[in-house]
Amino acid sequence: MIMTPKIVARIAAIGFLGVLLQLSFFSRVELFHVSPDVLPALVVCLALLGGSLTGAVAGFAIGLFVDSLLVEALGIASLVLLGTGYLAGLFRERFGIHSSLVPALLCMGLTLVAELGFAAIQLLLGVDAPISLLIVRDMLLKSVYAFFLGWPIYLLVRRVLRSALVEEPRVQRRRQPTVLGA
Amino acid sequence: MLALLIVGSFVLLSATYGQDSRGFQRGVSSIFSPVQSVADRALKPARDLVGWFDQTFDARGENSRLESELVIAREQAVAGQEALHENAQLRKLLDLDRSPVLAASAYDEVTGRVIARSPTQWRSSVTIDVGDGDGVRVDDPVISGDGLVGRISSVGPGSSQVMLITDHASAITAKVVPVGVQGVIKPEVGNPEDLILDFIDSTTEVHGGQTVVTAGWCAQGLCSLFPPGLPLGEVTKASIVEQEANEQVDVRPFADLRNLDLVQVLTGGSRG
Repeated sequence: MIMTPKIVARIAAIGFLGVLLQLSFFSRVELFHVSPDVLPALVVCLALLGGSLTGAVAGFAIGLFVDSLLVEALGIASLVLLGTGYLAGLFRERFGIHSSLVPALLCMGLTLVAELGFAAIQLLLGVDAPISLLIVRDMLLKSVYAFFLGWPIYLLVRRVLRSALVEEPRVQRRRQPTVLGA
Repeated sequence: MLALLIVGSFVLLSATYGQDSRGFQRGVSSIFSPVQSVADRALKPARDLVGWFDQTFDARGENSRLESELVIAREQAVAGQEALHENAQLRKLLDLDRSPVLAASAYDEVTGRVIARSPTQWRSSVTIDVGDGDGVRVDDPVISGDGLVGRISSVGPGSSQVMLITDHASAITAKVVPVGVQGVIKPEVGNPEDLILDFIDSTTEVHGGQTVVTAGWCAQGLCSLFPPGLPLGEVTKASIVEQEANEQVDVRPFADLRNLDLVQVLTGGSRG
C-alpha cells in the first residue's frame, strides 16, 4: 500500500467510523444474545490490504480510541488489536490472498484470537467475579458473526483504499482460443 | 515499530490500570460524545430492526410463562394495594417522610440516554449523554424503569460512564424480601441474565420468585452507595444445597441490561 497523507486520513476515517459504529450500533444489538464485535475484523481487513505494519498501527490506534471513548484503562484493547492486525498482515505477506474466502475466514479466526487474547489479559489483571461458561458461546458466536461481516467490510475498505493498493488482484478471464478466420 | 507499539501498550496499561483519574480518556470521551449522541439517534431504527428479529425468537417460548406470572402478579397487586393503604396511614402516623430511612426520596433524578456500550462482556459498561453539568457525580446510582442498573464510574462534562451491575468489579449489598436475608450481589461474567447473591445466611431459607432489593446499609458513618429498597432482581435458583454449601442463590436482574436506552441517575443523595 502506498502511504500518502490522504490514504492515512482515509484509514483514520475508517477507524473512526468503525469504532463509532461498534459502540453505537453493533455493541447494542444482539442476535442469539450475543453482540457482534467488528473491530477485530476491521483491523484484519486493514492489515490484509496494508500489511503487518499497517495492521499493527491501525490496531493500536483503534484500540486506544475505543478505550478512550469508554474511559477504560488504556492499553488492553490496543495490545489485543495490534496483535490481531500484525498476525493478519503477516499472513498476507507470507501467503497472499488466493481465495475470496480468505478475508472472511481470517476475520473469523482472528476475531476468536482477539477474544481469547482479551480474556487472557483480563484474567491476568484479575476478575473479581465468577465466570460463566456462556462466555465461550459469546466468543464463538462473535467469531461466526465476524465471518459474515468480514467479507463486506473487506470489500468496503478495499474500495475506499483502492487508489493506494499496488497489488490489486485482478481476475482475468481467459479468452477462448479462436480459429484463424473465425 | 512493532516493539515500540507493544511497549507503548504495556506502558499505557501500567500507567492507567486501576487509576481513578482518567483525564485523557474523559477528555476524548467528552469531545466525541456529541458525535456518539448523533450516531446513537441515527442508528436507532437499525438497532430496533435487529432487536425485533432477536426478540421474536425469544418471545416464542415466553408467552405461557408470562401468563402464569400474570396470575400471581394480580394476586400480589391486590395484596399490595392493601399494604400501600396501610403503609400510607402508618407513615402519616410516624412522620417517616422526613426520616433518613427513606434516602431514595432525597435524590434528584436526571434522565440520560445510552449512547455507547462496551463491545466485550469482560467490561460491562455504557456511556450516557449526561455529565457533571447535569449534576451527575461519580458513584451516583443509575436505575431504569425496572430496577437498579449500575452506578456512575466516571463523569465528564457532557457524558458519563455507567458501570453496570453485570461488570466483574460490581458488588452491591442486597436483601431478599420479605425474608430479609442479606448478601452481596455479584455478577457472573459472560451471563448478563444471571447474578449471584453471595454470602447469605444459610439458616434462613430463600425461595425462587422472591424479590431482591438493595440493602442500603449505614454503619459508623459509612453508607452504601445505593439507597435501600431499589429493586434488583428475582431469585431464580435457590436450591437448599447451594444455599447451605455455597451460601448463595441465583438472581435474574429486573432491568433489561441488554437493551438499555433511557436511564435515570439518582443525584445528590446522601453518600458515605
